[in-house]
Amino acid sequence: MNLVGLAWKNLWRRKRRTSITATSIGFGVFIAVTFSGTGDYSYTNMINTSAKMGLGHISIEAPGYMLSPSLDKKIHHVNDIQQSLANLSGVQDSYVRIQGQAMFASAHKSVGGAFLAIDVNNERAEHNLFMRSLVEGEIFTKRGQGVNETLSGIVIGQGMAKKLKLRLGKKLVYTTTDKHGDIVNGMARVSGIFSTGVKDIDNSMTLLPIQTLREVIGYSADEASVVAVMIKDQRYTDKVLKVVQQRLTELGQNKLEILSWRETQSEVAGMIRLDRSSNQISQILIGVLIAAGVLNTLLMSVLERTREFGVMMALGMAPLSLFFLVVVESVWLALMGLSVGVLVTVPWYLYMNRVGIDLSGSIGDDYSAGGVLIDPVLRIFLYPETILMILFTVLMLTLLSGLYPAWRAARNPPIDSLKAM
Amino acid sequence: MPLPQSEFIVNVEHVSKHFQQGSVVVKAINDLSLTFEAGEFAALCGPSGSGKTTLLNMIGGLDLPTKGVIHLESQDLSTLSRAALSQLRRDRIGFVFQAYNLIQVMSAYENAEFVLALQGVPKAQRRERVMSMLEKVGLKGLESRRPDEMSGGQQQRVAIARAMVTHPAVILADEPTANLDSENAEALLDLMETLNQKEGITFIFSTHDQRVMDRAHRLITLRDGKLDSQRYKKEKAEQKRSVK
Repeated sequence: MNLVGLAWKNLWRRKRRTSITATSIGFGVFIAVTFSGTGDYSYTNMINTSAKMGLGHISIEAPGYMLSPSLDKKIHHVNDIQQSLANLSGVQDSYVRIQGQAMFASAHKSVGGAFLAIDVNNERAEHNLFMRSLVEGEIFTKRGQGVNETLSGIVIGQGMAKKLKLRLGKKLVYTTTDKHGDIVNGMARVSGIFSTGVKDIDNSMTLLPIQTLREVIGYSADEASVVAVMIKDQRYTDKVLKVVQQRLTELGQNKLEILSWRETQSEVAGMIRLDRSSNQISQILIGVLIAAGVLNTLLMSVLERTREFGVMMALGMAPLSLFFLVVVESVWLALMGLSVGVLVTVPWYLYMNRVGIDLSGSIGDDYSAGGVLIDPVLRIFLYPETILMILFTVLMLTLLSGLYPAWRAARNPPIDSLKAM
Repeated sequence: MPLPQSEFIVNVEHVSKHFQQGSVVVKAINDLSLTFEAGEFAALCGPSGSGKTTLLNMIGGLDLPTKGVIHLESQDLSTLSRAALSQLRRDRIGFVFQAYNLIQVMSAYENAEFVLALQGVPKAQRRERVMSMLEKVGLKGLESRRPDEMSGGQQQRVAIARAMVTHPAVILADEPTANLDSENAEALLDLMETLNQKEGITFIFSTHDQRVMDRAHRLITLRDGKLDSQRYKKEKAEQKRSVK
């Protein structure tokens, strides 16, 4: 028996009702894509941006550094560690850095802030938010060539430059603690100014050349406070973290702490969790509404055909076949709804993915959330698994909505169904 | 318990069917016993409420007796599951309803093909049998019409084609001419009589229609759920034997 063909014909008995239901399923797909797509895009964006602010997606640190960051907690053999991570599955790059707190003083004023000391020759701007946000000058000043090359200078945020009344070439003194906890000073001329768009960061953050800072705080060339690991896809953080852990154990560095961005950027992680939960609740509510629509359509359709089902059973159709007939109708409805959804959503997705909606006017000057720069342009992006999840959920919701009407159709004895008007 | 093989295609033994209507128990069939032989062209008649349709439904396995046993081709219907009853109806019984009861989204061809498809008959074979049956019932050329594009007489012919195409043991026809005009009713009865005589299929009608009663070889009159009388028409039975 061709249940598939019969189910298709049955759906078109009431063209308007079927069309409205398919459209509502399509609308559900549209909403789900928009909600999930903004989530996928903004979460990925926030995670990657926070990773570019110093600690990477995975951070290798000395034990206890995260809870109480101070320069007496350092890691040794950082060059070996960095080398061992090269070509590791899932790892895109790793950077040796020193991060710490300092007081920054100009001739006019002093402010508290933080520094990130980097090896600029090995840093890629795409993995360093501050380098990417340079608006004036350069990242450090080079002197000499080859092995004699030295780097000097400091790159500061626009906010700090304003507070300390500094401009390019002006002197700045930073005071911090060395590897023993003693107070030390360093002096640098402003070589560059960055502007990330996050006020807190632009007011307090600075970049220093790692070689210079090592001399100031007494670190050897093989010591640093953190090795920041950038990975190819943030979704696989936990998987890559295990691989990194294994590699460090092989290297005899099993006492080091290996932390994911969820631990080093707990505020961002918490915000994403909260936003994802509320997003899911909204989607569940929309799903329930769609399921109610499908249930209504199929139930009405089944009740209208009670007598016909009685005839079919009288002619020898098994109750189970009748059950499957209605289930197949719900599958058709789901496929139609998904097709409508795809037709409506694809142009919207392409526009939102490539152009988006610029919300900078309503956000103001500070494009940050949880201390992380956010994209003021609302965009959507979907991972393949999210697309599959949306399609699967819509299909399952529609299918489940069809089960009760299908059961109703099949459970009646034929004589009762035949007596129905 | 299966009956020994006999000429009886349907055996109704002390069957009662009671319905609860509010606080009242309605005895639609009351201790009725009847048998039908293979190849009969029999009519159940009697006033409304006499139990004709109820009996027909029970013979077709659509309803079960409150008491008593019905055997169809030696099979005790009360022992069969819902699925087994469906299978029995599919393979051994043809139904013709007063309101035609065609499936509205299907064409005449598809309606006639429906039970063959349920039986899993291969497509080519189905086509051959359906086309031949539609030709027999005078619907050649109307195969692709939907029920709403056909007259009542044409729809009832499709219903007969649907019932006949599987070569069932018995066709149960509930008031088959009730919604037809005289011309269509006579044509339909001619058709059923011919099919009965040529194919040897047993027909059991429930009817109020004098035209059907005139054509039937055996008249069974029910009153208040009991057998009131039954009469064999000799000339009809002889006519049938001579055709055989």
